Amino acid sequence: MEFKDYYAILGVREDADLKEIKKAYRKLALTFHPDMNADEGAEEKFKEVAEAYEVLKNAERRAEYDELRRYGGTKGFEPPPDWQQGKGFDGNARGPSGQDFSDFFNSIFGGGFNQARHSASDEAFSFKGQDAEIEVPIFLEDTLAQHSRNIEFSIPTYEGGQIRHIKRTLKVKIPMGVMDGERIRLKGQAGPGHGQGPNGDLYLHIRLVPHPLFDVQGHNLLLTLPVSPWEAALGAKITIPTLSGKINLTISPNSQTGQKLRIKGKGLKTKTVTGDLLVILKVVMPQTNSEEAKTLWQRMADSSQFNPRTEWSN
Amino acid sequence: MAETTIEISVTELYAVEYITPKLVTEAVDLGIVIPIEGASAKDWVFDTNSAHWLKKAARLYLDLEIDWVAVCMVIDLLKQKEQLLRENAQLRAQLQRFI
Repeated sequence: MEFKDYYAILGVREDADLKEIKKAYRKLALTFHPDMNADEGAEEKFKEVAEAYEVLKNAERRAEYDELRRYGGTKGFEPPPDWQQGKGFDGNARGPSGQDFSDFFNSIFGGGFNQARHSASDEAFSFKGQDAEIEVPIFLEDTLAQHSRNIEFSIPTYEGGQIRHIKRTLKVKIPMGVMDGERIRLKGQAGPGHGQGPNGDLYLHIRLVPHPLFDVQGHNLLLTLPVSPWEAALGAKITIPTLSGKINLTISPNSQTGQKLRIKGKGLKTKTVTGDLLVILKVVMPQTNSEEAKTLWQRMADSSQFNPRTEWSN
Repeated sequence: MAETTIEISVTELYAVEYITPKLVTEAVDLGIVIPIEGASAKDWVFDTNSAHWLKKAARLYLDLEIDWVAVCMVIDLLKQKEQLLRENAQLRAQLQRFI
């Protein structure tokens, strides 16, 4: 096992006082805490920093560690044969929010939580297994009704003191009307409980897959509808898609880009709310390559008093 | 077929190793989370997103050794950040359809 240099991990001198140690820890914790930093590796780095702080903030534990450090461990570290594990240890061998500490820590301070050392019926070491969260992409169409799907994930488990990741597959019912960002709980489907503790819960974090046609705004759907200049000017009947099939839409004469048309009840649905479909018009200019088209536009230009920049004239 | 729910009772929350009644009461008093059911603390029920924020708040409080007012501010900013990122992504997608 590799010797951990807690001073180097926190970036403090060997004679640093508690104030310096705390300051260094806070700075690193703010950078690497997994609730503040989702980068890969941040969580492992935070565990390392939390472990170093756990030792160096406690005078007795720090003294024990310093003694071992002088004993001279770098690579291939083993505690001295006469080392008494757990001296000055208050029994909390996990981080404040339940982080597991390294084998190095456990070998020095007599514990950490290690299932191999405790029987399954040992109530003092019973606690709930780790909760887990996975992102589940859902198509908009699939939110309109309850559907079932297979979810694959892996959970960490302890075997002979080692952490192993076990792959699991679950068939779950995704309720109708799930929204982006919602979390669905599967009780007892995550990390195995320690001792007599219950299994952790698995949370499915719903992510709505971006749709090629529709955008989502709350319970409403937005559809950008391209129309020609003459459809916008003269009005038109256009067939448009919705999540549940096609419908006919009437465009009024003199319509504009950005104009919104609301179609009631064609948005996303939950048990209590049904959203609307908002159709946003986008007037698209055709390519004017033919002489005939140019002539027609020129006739309009000659006869029209229209100035699209009237707001600029003031 | 695994059973799904979008709720968690306060008693179930206490089973999480680092969640204590005092932590839950602090988080509710400061408005970090709001129970969806239960007149008294022992009967509180939370939605699963509240459970997510409550656990996050508890970890920040315990790991960073900061007070509850600071935790409340951090959680509020994290919630705002999440909301703004989502809105930003939606607006970018809409903008792309107009270009």
